[in-house]
Amino acid sequence: MRFKSIASGFTRFGWGLLPASCLLLSVGLGGCGDNQSGLSEPAPVGGPALMRRLTESQYRATINDVFGPGISIPARFERGLRVEGLLAIGTSESGMSAFSVEQYDAAALSIADTVLGAEHRDRFLNCATASEGAFDAQCTTQFVQQYGMQLWRRPLTDPEVSSLVNAAHQGFIQLGDYYEGLKYALVGLLVAPDFLLRIERTQAPPEGSGPGQLDAFSRAARLSFFLTNASPDKELLRAAAAGELDTPEGLASQVDRLIASSRFTRAVRAFFEDMLQFDLFADLAKDPVIYPAFNSTLAADAQEQTLRTITDLLIEQNGDYRDLFTTRNAHLTRALGIAYRVPVPTRKGWEVSEFSADSNRAGIQTHIAFLALHSHPGRSSPSLRGKAIREVFLCQEVPPPPPEVNFSVVQDPSDANLPTARDRLELHRTEPSCAGCHRIMDPPGLALENFDGLGTFRTVENGAAIDASGSLDGIDFTNTNGLAQALHDHRETPRCLVEKMYRFAVGRDTVWDERPYMDYLTETFAVHSYSVPQLMRAIALSKNFFAIAPPTGETSHNLAGLSPANGATR
Amino acid sequence: MNTFPRRTFLRGALRGAAVGVALPLLNCFLDSNGKAYAATGQRIPLRFGTWVWGCGFIPEKWIPATTGRDYVMPEHLAPLEPYRDQLALFSGFDVKLDGVANKPHITGCLGLRSGIPVPDENVKAPTLDVLIGDAIGNGSRFRSIEVSTSGIQRSYSYRTAGSPNPSEISPLALYQRIFGEGFQDPNSIAFKPDPKYMVHQSVLSAIGDDRQRLMRTVGAEDRHRLDEYFTSIRQLEQQLALQLQPPAPVEGFVMPAAPADVALDSEMDNVLVIHRLMAGLLAKALQCNQTRVFNVLFSDTTSNLRRRGTIDTHHTLTHEEPEDPTLGYQREVAWFAQQSMQAWREFLDELASIPEGDGTLLDNCMVLAHSDCSIAKAHAVEGIPTMVAGGGNRIRTGYHLAGSADPISRIGLTVQQAMGLQVERWGSLSMETNKSITELLV
Amino acid sequence: MPIVRDDNLAGAAQWMAASGQYNRAARISLALLLLFYTSFTYAQLPFVQNGKAGFVISQFRYALPQDAAETGACPQGMSLNVQDIFAQTAAGKRLPQESDNEYSARLRSGGELFATAADGQNLCMNPEAGEPDPHFRTVDLSTMPMPGIDLDGGHSAEDRAENTCEHVAFTGTDGETGIDNQFYRVVGCSASFQSTGPSNGFDTEMLTGSWGILMTLSGLDDIVDDDSVEVSIYANSDPIQLSPGRKPLAYATYLADPDPEFSATTQGRIKDGILTTDPTDVLFHHVVNSMYLRRPLRAARLQLAVSEDGRLEGYLAGYAPVEAMYNVLYGYRDGKTSTGELAPLRLRSGSANGAAQVLGHTCNGAYHALYRYADGHRDPETGRCTSISTQYRIEALPAFVIERNENDIGQGISAERSNAL
Repeated sequence: MRFKSIASGFTRFGWGLLPASCLLLSVGLGGCGDNQSGLSEPAPVGGPALMRRLTESQYRATINDVFGPGISIPARFERGLRVEGLLAIGTSESGMSAFSVEQYDAAALSIADTVLGAEHRDRFLNCATASEGAFDAQCTTQFVQQYGMQLWRRPLTDPEVSSLVNAAHQGFIQLGDYYEGLKYALVGLLVAPDFLLRIERTQAPPEGSGPGQLDAFSRAARLSFFLTNASPDKELLRAAAAGELDTPEGLASQVDRLIASSRFTRAVRAFFEDMLQFDLFADLAKDPVIYPAFNSTLAADAQEQTLRTITDLLIEQNGDYRDLFTTRNAHLTRALGIAYRVPVPTRKGWEVSEFSADSNRAGIQTHIAFLALHSHPGRSSPSLRGKAIREVFLCQEVPPPPPEVNFSVVQDPSDANLPTARDRLELHRTEPSCAGCHRIMDPPGLALENFDGLGTFRTVENGAAIDASGSLDGIDFTNTNGLAQALHDHRETPRCLVEKMYRFAVGRDTVWDERPYMDYLTETFAVHSYSVPQLMRAIALSKNFFAIAPPTGETSHNLAGLSPANGATR
Repeated sequence: MNTFPRRTFLRGALRGAAVGVALPLLNCFLDSNGKAYAATGQRIPLRFGTWVWGCGFIPEKWIPATTGRDYVMPEHLAPLEPYRDQLALFSGFDVKLDGVANKPHITGCLGLRSGIPVPDENVKAPTLDVLIGDAIGNGSRFRSIEVSTSGIQRSYSYRTAGSPNPSEISPLALYQRIFGEGFQDPNSIAFKPDPKYMVHQSVLSAIGDDRQRLMRTVGAEDRHRLDEYFTSIRQLEQQLALQLQPPAPVEGFVMPAAPADVALDSEMDNVLVIHRLMAGLLAKALQCNQTRVFNVLFSDTTSNLRRRGTIDTHHTLTHEEPEDPTLGYQREVAWFAQQSMQAWREFLDELASIPEGDGTLLDNCMVLAHSDCSIAKAHAVEGIPTMVAGGGNRIRTGYHLAGSADPISRIGLTVQQAMGLQVERWGSLSMETNKSITELLV
Repeated sequence: MPIVRDDNLAGAAQWMAASGQYNRAARISLALLLLFYTSFTYAQLPFVQNGKAGFVISQFRYALPQDAAETGACPQGMSLNVQDIFAQTAAGKRLPQESDNEYSARLRSGGELFATAADGQNLCMNPEAGEPDPHFRTVDLSTMPMPGIDLDGGHSAEDRAENTCEHVAFTGTDGETGIDNQFYRVVGCSASFQSTGPSNGFDTEMLTGSWGILMTLSGLDDIVDDDSVEVSIYANSDPIQLSPGRKPLAYATYLADPDPEFSATTQGRIKDGILTTDPTDVLFHHVVNSMYLRRPLRAARLQLAVSEDGRLEGYLAGYAPVEAMYNVLYGYRDGKTSTGELAPLRLRSGSANGAAQVLGHTCNGAYHALYRYADGHRDPETGRCTSISTQYRIEALPAFVIERNENDIGQGISAERSNAL
């Protein structure tokens, strides 16, 4: 039974049925033993309670939500750690260096200066009695309790409150100014691990056995970061305290409220930025002679274009996720117009139009952000693009090349006998040690060869006409529009999104026993016409989302023996 | 129930302990501070200065052919060879005009220093030296000291528009200002620690007290990560403790003698003499904590420097002198550009000649050197030559970096960050940037 | 002296040869190649959409012959500035024991005499108050090969008789006759206009976005042979877009200056890949030392080679009104601030006198020389010509030009826009 459920759908490298050599990949579409369990949620599985570090965007969004817009956060955040394809999973594993803590500390001082400075403090302090010259214990306690709850995502214990009130008091004594002292209570809140780390806490399972549950405030935090990319707001904290998140109605009402809020867009953007690996733009370089139009403005606008296309289609229009691979909606700036070779009349900022039907710009996989990111500095790369299509959109993992491979042929575009990338890669596909993977990676990538290493359309390479025909798991096509349709129709396309979305939501990789739950979500996604907000709603309402598995200390050692000896897949 | 990761089969082994992103940085941080304390047992402040020369450079004589550490110093940089490891060269960074008309020699210089291109002398202040001075200059007698060595009363340090911080132009006047009336023995000034550091430290200490409680609530791997967090908090506490100690006593400070009065003449040899005198006085002033910020104008942006026996100035030559057809550049202009780099070398010599801690004063100064344009003939503000020198192990130097037409405000932003200013974004219009030059930062 | 020129085809051939890129044999094969390619690739030429193509000027400089040192154009030497002139007088000689600084100060004040009219007016601001300056050297030789086009040949003789003044035309770099470039005679002996000098590098301002020029072709059916295309020329409202290597980028979008004074439309034709146009008056912006000026060119014509990748290369030539040319190059008398007010006199006068000093001329010398060589737009009352034949060498790249009252916004893209201009 278990075996069948794994084999369902397209062969999934990540599920490890296939040796790393790739040679078995030609199996293609495997058996179709669909799980027919209908739309009732399988029993919750759950993972460990996690300790997740706030991402930069979560930190900024939370400060924005708690203290209002316009609070400057002058900090340099460390790069995130990408694990299993997602930064969200890395937040459960990355450490916290001295540099980071120094930055958090400086940001906390600056935020406290703004919040409690003479100009703004009345907005945050509800104490008519407070003045510079006297310490006001009651007002301080109230301040610490109110903002402590919002920043630590739970009520503070009495010792925690009195420690922070004491810090403010000591500050007053040393500095002679009530507000100056109070700043240090806020600094204490903002530098504490309880703010910077989402430390999940559990409660005993309802019936005393089976998977455990997150406590109410940890549930609120999971919901809130998943649906707004920030800490819970006051209303959600109230509902958590009142036990409303334990009832299906109470939970649904909060989930629907968050999805309807303008902050939901932030969460969808955070997910896709992570899934599309936009953090890699920080390292992206292009040869300025070959791609003169590439600069930091273009790089920033390209990412924003794809994100606008996504949120416009998925949220504003509540569209079908699969249409992201065929949409011709064009969100453009003038910098992008140069790379796309289209006019952009709007002089500053964004305009919305549509790429023409014959423009070869159907789908976000034909955007500059995808094409430029998955290319070399001086040329396109069918292999990198094909690999990204497999891994990013279809969750099919391609192993790295064998160590002894000779790349000199592919990397020498000057060979006049091999003018196009297709010609050069043909050598790889005839080399046995390379053929398996390149047969998987290259065909979808070759369909994007009409775009150069930046993403500008072209019809010739080194004087030879480009053949953009390719295939994707049994569907043949002759141009990029064909690839667009194939991605749209691929059965792994929605399933992959479901899996990544859930991993993003819970901050860990999925486990073996969560297969039926993935099937359930995938079917729910289909029933709702592949609406991403509906998928996120289904996740947020599911029991699996909050489930905590008992610790499995020994498991990993036991399992090591089951795996192939080489293990060389990274 | 199988709750092992779905990929375990393929992987063959689970990951080991959690990944700490920046542990090497942690060690490095300890080393650097450890060293700084080791020499004196006290803290030595990092000072900041700018050194400006006018009328740009000859690109083929200045820009190294390669980037990175192993570049060959072109002819005009040759005098700086002894400082190779303490010098970062920046080529190809632009003042972005955004269609603003280029006010020759003004827009570039102030654009670089303020992050805003201006079409006239209405500076959008403050300039970055003032921002840095406000952050680090509090404990010293002068917020900053400005000198101009070519006889022109001018400065490109602005707190507010229209009122530049005036430069001293005579070595004697500079001497009297620093070492004349009001000068105190640097080793006898009473030190009063800022109580803010004490309050701040006790807040962090309270957070550290929570360690045991939290450790109990998380699993083994997360305990490792929490431990790293608490170690980082402890280090921050130690840094603050340092602020509560008095600054290092000034060892080996010798009161300088008053310089002879010299003629103010923009002839190059004379200017080099004045410059060396003023650099020496400035170094002494830094040594005994009279100031922590300085701005040196070696030659004005419309340079009035002259070569002995001629009457054409450097600036007029940039416009009048034809290009030498065999050299491909202006021969006389090149001489001035080369002499300017010689003067820069001599400035660094003065800073490096004063021992401090286990290094020299230069190790405890970060100096930003720049011009107002790249090719003066065309008043081009693209690719203005810029250098950062000194900083010891508190910044990273010893390389040439090409900017690929990035906004030059990236340099200004990073310099502020390296000086410890908490700023994440700087400049305006196309010059607004949050992209630090990570190569410069430790 | 007007000269009747060859037929257009031969002229084009000569031009192409002159451009140094093709020899005659190559031209024929290129033409064949273009013919062959036309049917196959024309629809895909990305810079032509719906018969319309836009361009941004990417290089713009005076078309001048080789330096005086090579051609012997200036047997009396180069033009002098006021301090040079003073230094040549008895009073201007250096005194024994006079220091550099003292002599330099004396030269400055001595030079001021030559920059000031008898009635005390500054000559840069009032050049007509001064006399023609014998130290302002000009070119009377006509033997040097001259890049450019024939402005007054091949057109009606009556026009010429009415409108132009007597002048000697040059012979082109490939032997074509009738090249009119009186402007060269004025500046040819100025050191700053030699190839090593700074005066012909003024497109720096263009590349930093202070001003720019756009062009469109409409009714374009064929980039090799098309007997009728409409050609428009505009000032650019937007800064030119550059690569990190500071080279202009193709396919950027620009807004044409909405002020109708800064746009002009004329009729043109393409033969063997060479676009030529009928004359029209054009006006461009110009910026000097942060002052905004106007650069007009009357009866301007284009002769441009059109390449398959959308690059244009050739000449823009016409008649520059003398008063305006004096302002643009020498006097800045009508210089405006960025907000449109007349710039302070100190800035205008200081810039003009400073430029005269560093570039090596006198303002009155330049002014009178411009009139002396003027060959166009003869004033019927005074009989004096008021404009001077001037040639620019230009290059252009494909661009999207958004024009006033245009309904072709978004060609190639759907018309639906949420955020149109």
